[in-house]
Amino acid sequence: MDLFANLLLGFSVAVSPVNLAYLLIGVTVGMVVGIIPGFGPAAALAVLLPITFGMEPTGAVIMLAAIYYGAQYGGTITSILLNTPGESSSVASTFDGYPLAQQGRAGPALVMQAVASFVGGTFGVVLITLLAPPFSQLARNFGPPEFFLLVVMGLSTLIVMIEGHWRLGVISALIGFALGTVGVDLETGQSRFTFGSAELIGGVDFIPIAIGLFGLGEFYYAFYTGMHVTGTGGIVQYRREKRFWPEWRDYAETRGALARGSLLGFVVGVLPGAGATVASLMSYSVEKSVSDTPEKFGKGAMAGLVGPESANNAASSGAMVPLLTLGIPGSASTAVLLAAFTLWGLTPGPLLMAEKPAFAWGLIASMYLGNVALLALNVFAIPLFVQLVKLPYRILAPSVIVICTIGTYSVNGSIIETWMMFGAGLVGFFMKLHGFSPAALVLALVLGPLAEQSLRQSLTISQGSLAIFVDRPVSLGILCLTAALIAAGVYARRSRRRTSA
Amino acid sequence: MRAGFLAGLLLLAGGYTWFAFAELAWLSSAGRLGPGYFPRLIGAALVALCAWSLADELRRGTREPPSEFWRATAALALLSALFVAALDVLGGLVSMIAYMAAALALLNRRRRWQNALLAVVLPLAMFLLFRVWLNAAVPRGLLPLPF
Repeated sequence: MDLFANLLLGFSVAVSPVNLAYLLIGVTVGMVVGIIPGFGPAAALAVLLPITFGMEPTGAVIMLAAIYYGAQYGGTITSILLNTPGESSSVASTFDGYPLAQQGRAGPALVMQAVASFVGGTFGVVLITLLAPPFSQLARNFGPPEFFLLVVMGLSTLIVMIEGHWRLGVISALIGFALGTVGVDLETGQSRFTFGSAELIGGVDFIPIAIGLFGLGEFYYAFYTGMHVTGTGGIVQYRREKRFWPEWRDYAETRGALARGSLLGFVVGVLPGAGATVASLMSYSVEKSVSDTPEKFGKGAMAGLVGPESANNAASSGAMVPLLTLGIPGSASTAVLLAAFTLWGLTPGPLLMAEKPAFAWGLIASMYLGNVALLALNVFAIPLFVQLVKLPYRILAPSVIVICTIGTYSVNGSIIETWMMFGAGLVGFFMKLHGFSPAALVLALVLGPLAEQSLRQSLTISQGSLAIFVDRPVSLGILCLTAALIAAGVYARRSRRRTSA
Repeated sequence: MRAGFLAGLLLLAGGYTWFAFAELAWLSSAGRLGPGYFPRLIGAALVALCAWSLADELRRGTREPPSEFWRATAALALLSALFVAALDVLGGLVSMIAYMAAALALLNRRRRWQNALLAVVLPLAMFLLFRVWLNAAVPRGLLPLPF
């Protein structure tokens, strides 16, 4: 009964005209962000964060969350029509989406990806509704050792799941931790690495670093790889009048893929660090292995498109569970969302749902509405979004750099932070060029203070003994889960290599 | 090039670690874990991993040629740096217009009217959005301009 009352409260917040308007703006921007290759939701969230400062907190977070999950929808359009994923989580959708388009079935593929995204996303939100409250209750029993191990779990999962060498991923995370130690030590009041600068006493602000790494860095990299010259390639043409809608057998043959993808995606999404990309690739492998006709995969199998699509959308919903109930983001995008929460004085964690029910349930209810809006946008406004793919990088890049720079300055009116953003842009470019992980850096920067504080508290409680991390059953459980995830990550890497080969 | 990046990181990590060991205490005056505990752990791990990766990179000895587009990338980065430097001098609006005009002249050649329009419309829209609508900080600069 409480659940329905809370959900009703959430809908009453979400359907207010202002919040509904922010939601629609968010899903539209999310679609646009998803369509632009090389410009991900983390970058968009970081860049648009300063623009939301004048808004009311609930509306602002509803809009930012809509950008986050809306990008999952948009990323697949370019996967199908261009063979270029708009997001890393849409890579698996190119395997069968593009062959379908080449066979003259672009329309059914686009509609089926929209339906799969809607089913996965909505399934994820239903599970958030059911699971977030008990998860919050459980998390109230967590102490410093559990929080420290959750940070370790999130980062180690992210590192083993990402492309590139694990050592470069660990170095990226350690750089983030190191940046997180700048500023005043909260326990002793001593300044660390501030070198007399008043601007650094409060620590390295997360926003300029995220904007630089994901905004500037991505565009510099796009230029380095020549995307301003080559563009995104040729779009597969399709007609809305003829053979646009899927046939009945498309729905009938992909029911199982929809269900499996949604469930798998949500479970993977809940695990900190795993994320939508891993979920979609795992779903593709699962669908291929359970199919009666695995030889059709890679040549235009609808199940090979529907499974990963439902999985990546369910995963993006699932990632909201640890964010809302533990305050632990599992990806760069949710790390920016966490920063947005804290900017408005909202502290995600076990007490959020109890202390701020209108906000928490308003956000959840808005996700139901957002998925419906995204389904409609996907089916009826695809030609409009396809035009955006044609926007050249040589115009897009300077425009986004202007937004990044002025957006960063506007946060605190600080030219030093603007220079930090520019420096982070250069570092982000070189990190991407050399196989490091900007996402791990940002996640570690956000989680660093929590990791340090919880580690020091744990060792103070145990008087220096590391046994505290295995003595407590919950800690031991998290440790075992971390080990299992690392093993699964190594396995997923190998199977990903096999799939791409 | 990766070796150079790793060498730079190793240098910075060395400086960070030296500072953590030289200036920050392992234990606080109350006998608890001090402000240097975490930085020392991180610094030591960072130095070890950077050194290991650099040694691996040097042993492999692979040198990839830079992309043919490195000049465009460097030009874009240089323009971005000049843009940031100009903010405090020329102010937000003038800097944005100057940067857009320069960047588009470089990247979007032979489309003068389109460039001129974009160089004015986008900065103006950004200025109105941040200064007027959001009432946020936009650099004023040293020039005696009314905005």
